[in-house]
Amino acid sequence: MAVYSQTQSLAFAARSRQRELTGIWITAREAFWIAIEALRAHKLRSFLTLLGLVIATTTLIVVMSVINGMNLYIADHIANLGANVFIVHQFQWAQGYEAWLKARRRNQPVRIEDYNFLKENVTGYKNIGAEAWRRMDVRYKEHALYEVELSADTPSMIDIGQAQIESGRYFSESEYEHGAMVCFVGQDLVNEFFPSVDPLEKTIMIGGLPFRIVGVAKKIGTTFGQSQDYFVNIPLTTYLRTFSARPGLAVSIQAWNATQLVPLEDEVRALMRARRHVPYKENDTFGINASDTIMDLWKRLTASIFAVTIGIVSVFMVVGGIVIMNIMLAAVTERTHEIGIRKSLGARRRDILMQFVMESGVMAGVGGAVGVLLSLGLAKIADILFTASVPVSAVVVGLLLSTSVGLFFGIYPAYKAAKLDPIEALRTET
Amino acid sequence: MASQVETSSVLDRQAPPEEVLIRTEELWKTYDMGAAAVQALCGVTFDILRGEYVAIMGPSGSGKSTLMNLVGCLDTPSSGKYWLNARLVSELTDDELAYIRNKEIGFVFQTFNLLARATALHNVELPLIYNGTPSKEREEKASEALNMVELGDRMYHKPSELSGGQRQRVAIARALVNNPSLILADEPTGNLDTATGDEIMNLFDRLHESGNTIVLVTHEHDIAARAHRIIHIRDGKIDRDERIK
Repeated sequence: MAVYSQTQSLAFAARSRQRELTGIWITAREAFWIAIEALRAHKLRSFLTLLGLVIATTTLIVVMSVINGMNLYIADHIANLGANVFIVHQFQWAQGYEAWLKARRRNQPVRIEDYNFLKENVTGYKNIGAEAWRRMDVRYKEHALYEVELSADTPSMIDIGQAQIESGRYFSESEYEHGAMVCFVGQDLVNEFFPSVDPLEKTIMIGGLPFRIVGVAKKIGTTFGQSQDYFVNIPLTTYLRTFSARPGLAVSIQAWNATQLVPLEDEVRALMRARRHVPYKENDTFGINASDTIMDLWKRLTASIFAVTIGIVSVFMVVGGIVIMNIMLAAVTERTHEIGIRKSLGARRRDILMQFVMESGVMAGVGGAVGVLLSLGLAKIADILFTASVPVSAVVVGLLLSTSVGLFFGIYPAYKAAKLDPIEALRTET
Repeated sequence: MASQVETSSVLDRQAPPEEVLIRTEELWKTYDMGAAAVQALCGVTFDILRGEYVAIMGPSGSGKSTLMNLVGCLDTPSSGKYWLNARLVSELTDDELAYIRNKEIGFVFQTFNLLARATALHNVELPLIYNGTPSKEREEKASEALNMVELGDRMYHKPSELSGGQRQRVAIARALVNNPSLILADEPTGNLDTATGDEIMNLFDRLHESGNTIVLVTHEHDIAARAHRIIHIRDGKIDRDERIK
């Protein structure tokens, strides 16, 4: 007898182990369809249950989209110093307020001598230029524009910076050498002063001095609603002669390519330190700023926005999860008799557990999907009003997060269902 | 899990001979009702052979439901031993019992216990789902079982669209679908009118003729009279064990 059952049992055990594997898949599929069925049977209830998760997912994705959109925007409009360009300036731009205060006491502005020194001594740059800024009132006849961005540049800046020529030309080397009274104007000035006339060769008054227009820049557009075309450029030498003898400069240096950028920065840093006699262990007394420095600052800013969002979304998610748990507890009570039937037919604890965890997971997943759809619509609107771009990662994170919340908060009700006594459950009438 | 079930039977040297499907030895069941302990079963011992048609009879409160739950592996005894199909099942865990219920036992209940939202076919498929039968094979077996109870044309109806007798036949198809070694029916005609009840009992007769072992729990004499042997239960003990055919 024992031998009989042993041989039988070995074969049987092997067969049932194989069944076990396919069995999990089969019961999982059954659980999935039960979940879909339950969702369809209780549409309104499911919708109300999922509201929290939908809002959480939507918030998460919309905020991520707006931040992502702003990142792209910043990279495009603000941090765009030009291709492979870095700027030597009195300050390191992307640093905290404390560091900035300290630097202000300690750092010398970058002067025209520094520029000339770098121009002479740095090897292998593609382009070097310098500029100084200030706001000036500009007039033409009876028209006036106030606080126009006056930028005093070297002629090379047209090849380094953002501005492009629409008509006329930039000022020449010889105009620069002689400090000629010429200027290059942005579109806003053209629109105000010369709406229907060719602006070239006209003379406008900048800070009370006459300047002849030699060129007009292409329209750039706005950044955060601020026009980028409200500017006028004059030669730096002219500026030194007329408005400010010793302005602080920003020296732009352009490398040939991206790989040369860092070595070039290092060379410039070494030269500047040597020129300013900065001791070995001291910090720089100037700043070297590249696009990524600005992006860094920006990202630090958005990181705090993002952290707040994470907090809010977590609260939503937890609340949404608790609502799901609540409704699942109700579902378990409601379906106690069904659980009894399933158990009497051979459903094990883990089959029942899977059924209910699957149900809350599918429910939450559907909530996440609805949230994704909603956020796609909202992101579109946000893009029209402001800027937004939905990153794929946000969609994936949103879906995964809401589904896992459902799975997690489904565990307790499912566990309660799984450990129901089959006799008691069968006896419960619904 | 399956191998654990096997192991316990392999180690069990007292296992009854093969022709004995059910052997109980001094089954006791005590319910702890707060202060007082209620003795529902007080040492029940009997054998049921393969192919027998047995009715368990007794008034309400006699312990026959408790006995049915134990025989049906829905519950475990407080003490005593129970072998089903040469396997000692009285000491198994919940999940192991679920496995035995699935493989060895087909239940037919008084209230049918069908899933209201599922079709007849899906109801019959349920036991096959829980033993991991692939969907195609499942559908074949389930429709075969439904044909056997003459409901081949009602496969896609939900229980609410079926009459009481038809519902009970779906339940019987579900009980048969896994080829269990035991069909355990608890007042199978209790919710049916006499004519329909007769039909269902005729169906049980046919199942018995084709070799199934049937245990019927009832309190009605004419239903019990269909069986070949009646075990009378009273106050948690076997009162009488009579062979009538």
